[in-house]
Amino acid sequence: MYSKLTILRLISLGLALALILPACAPGPAPTAEIREVVMTVEVTTIVEGTPQVVIQEVTATPEPLPVQAPKPEGRIVLWGWSYDVMESTGLLDDFNAEYPDIEVEIVTYNSGDTYQNLRLALSAGQGAADVVQVENSHLAGFVAMGGLADLTDQVAPLMDKMNQYKWKDAELDGKYYAVPWDSGPVVLYYRRDVFEQAGLPTNPDEVSQLVSSWDGYLEVCKTIKAETGLNCFANSKANNDARLYEIILWQQGLGYYNPDGQVTVDSPENVATLEKMSEFWSAGVTSEEVPWTDGWYAELQSLDEPVASIIEASWLGVFLKSWIAGDTAGRWGVAYMPAMQTGQPRASNDGGSTLVITEQSQNKEAAWAFIEFMLARRENQLKQFAFSDFLPALETTYDDHLFIEPDSFFGGQVARKIYLDVAMQIPIGYVYGPYYQLMHDHVSTAIQRYATGALSAEATLKEAATQIRQETGMP
Amino acid sequence: MHSPQVADFSINKPAEKCAMGKQAELTSIPIRKPEHRAAAGGRLWKELVKSRWGLFFISPFFLLYAIFGFYPLVYSFILAFTDWTGKGPLDFSGLANLNLILKDQVFWQAMRNGAILFFMYVPLQTFLALVLAVVLNSKRVRGFAFFRTLIFVPYVTNMVAAGYTFQLLLNQKYGVFNSFLSWFGFANVPWLDSVWGARASLCLLIVWAWLGYNMVIMLAGLQTIPNDYCEAALIDGASPIQAFFYVTIPLMRPVILFVVVLSTMGSFGLFAETISLFPSTFGSGPLNATVTPILAIYNQAFRNFRFGYAATMAYVYFAFIFVLTLFQVRYFGRDDESEGL
Repeated sequence: MYSKLTILRLISLGLALALILPACAPGPAPTAEIREVVMTVEVTTIVEGTPQVVIQEVTATPEPLPVQAPKPEGRIVLWGWSYDVMESTGLLDDFNAEYPDIEVEIVTYNSGDTYQNLRLALSAGQGAADVVQVENSHLAGFVAMGGLADLTDQVAPLMDKMNQYKWKDAELDGKYYAVPWDSGPVVLYYRRDVFEQAGLPTNPDEVSQLVSSWDGYLEVCKTIKAETGLNCFANSKANNDARLYEIILWQQGLGYYNPDGQVTVDSPENVATLEKMSEFWSAGVTSEEVPWTDGWYAELQSLDEPVASIIEASWLGVFLKSWIAGDTAGRWGVAYMPAMQTGQPRASNDGGSTLVITEQSQNKEAAWAFIEFMLARRENQLKQFAFSDFLPALETTYDDHLFIEPDSFFGGQVARKIYLDVAMQIPIGYVYGPYYQLMHDHVSTAIQRYATGALSAEATLKEAATQIRQETGMP
Repeated sequence: MHSPQVADFSINKPAEKCAMGKQAELTSIPIRKPEHRAAAGGRLWKELVKSRWGLFFISPFFLLYAIFGFYPLVYSFILAFTDWTGKGPLDFSGLANLNLILKDQVFWQAMRNGAILFFMYVPLQTFLALVLAVVLNSKRVRGFAFFRTLIFVPYVTNMVAAGYTFQLLLNQKYGVFNSFLSWFGFANVPWLDSVWGARASLCLLIVWAWLGYNMVIMLAGLQTIPNDYCEAALIDGASPIQAFFYVTIPLMRPVILFVVVLSTMGSFGLFAETISLFPSTFGSGPLNATVTPILAIYNQAFRNFRFGYAATMAYVYFAFIFVLTLFQVRYFGRDDESEGL
């Protein structure tokens, strides 16, 4: 009889332990404390045929678990277009070495296809990748749509370590849904050989002095045109893609809407910005080439008939160095972009990516392990940066010696220092937002209208603003 | 007379033209009298059971159509009255979308573009296709199959590759077209960088790509016309040109109508052509010069994710094309004995 009681007790204890142990086992971090658990158990004992209920106190002290939590495992699928940086720098192999049980599958889509597939997969409720690359321009739209995993707890320790402006589009109602990857500090890339030919200084400091404002830049462009006949930069009239316009808006802390959510596409500041941009068209110093087309590549890579400069974010660096203009090594310099007025910020942002985890992901821990490994670790972000000029959003990297190393492609200039300097000054802009694509398309058409002389800047932006207000319902 | 008909769009066609007797026999469903109604259900079931294998073998189409054709049709009609953005519940907004369309400049620009493009390339393409077909159909041309293949090759060429190549050819500064034109004194034609240049470039690409397809349809039509008619006309003293205009074209009218109707829908529904030629503006071209209704719908649905609004646009567009096609078939396809042969 007694032995029966013992067996029952043991079973109860077993049950109690069974309840406690699994709750501890897959603890997310090795910090899970092991406490003594005291619980009351009803033990029904049968002593000589009469059932008796005895209330007993059972103390369960489980064996201390090994300190290291089990590593996440499983297969994760990544969508995006920039993972080749991780492959080329060997980071993917490093990741596999650290997490041998995580299988990473990279599916390369261009940005448009990535967004479309992500949108449809979120809409369908299935089929989405675990980790997706999303540019800041489109991030707010996805956050507003819902379907991205809430990363608020995971990113909490990173909040102060990343560029502040990058968090704006990742946040909704106090929750965060993305981890910043790179920043897009905008600089002026210029051709030293063209500047020399035009009798202008070629030293980056002097060039930065010369182009301290858009007016100063215009004078430089006119000189280049007069002396060499070459165009100053590409800014198509009929096929304008509004990117430069957006850069100049952002530089002034402006955008397509204001912090109160009102459409500002037709505001006096925006109109003035567009009119300022048009001075370069009137002067006839720009080329008609459309970015990312063959004519554009041709004038960037040309040795004898190049375009003199381009205002773009630092991520252009890796493309210039590799497939766009590899043969022009040593001929480029990096200067600060012009300010709207001398003394105003000479910093803006264009593009820049983040990584998100989808709510549908079956392996969120593995997905987070990947993001943490690639984006939140100083040494790994630096490896990517050394290879690609994708300026890490992670500010703890900024004291590395990479930032004071000369870059032979830019004629031995310490170019990364300028990227860094710019990144720290980027104002909060209101270009990107939930309706970015729609606003961008209308504004592009408006700029084309104005540039080809169909309408005045004010009228064309007014029309775009009306359409945007109708379609978004924003005031 | 029994004119050979390849694709007959005529609506009030005389009864003797189609083999009415035979058709009726094939598709006859016995009409039941009222008193047999109860039995009719049973008999229908019997018929179904009897022909179960036949029904089984034709079922894939109906199943696939139900899933990929009918269901989207119905669902998009429901969506047309919502402002659905791809996720979450459907919020009905009544006719608000329709009201928005009336004020949507891009949509109406797209409709205008469809009409402009139609007039720019359809007459030219149809005429060229017919002339090429007649030339190839004449007995004097050797290597018929070779030329037919040659003209058809662009149609099977990947449009993205073709669009990319045309971009290179038409580039204002570096393109082959402009270097060629510069010999004749036309410098720097802004093919892709102006409103009308963009439309002309697009028409060039379309005619290049679709000429072979249209020619093959014309050729098929021509080969059903007996030579006797033309020979008779020539013996009666008509010149070959007269024979072409007064004999071949009237006989080819149903085929020409078929080609024109297809091209009409084609010019409003241009998509791959314009995206491939103007990728940086996603097909919209300079100042929205080449945006078409289908492209505008696609942009709203899959770039701006306004599925509800896009569905409304799709139905408005459908209504427009439906009326237009009806008009074309009625007006140009009527079987008027005094006009034809």
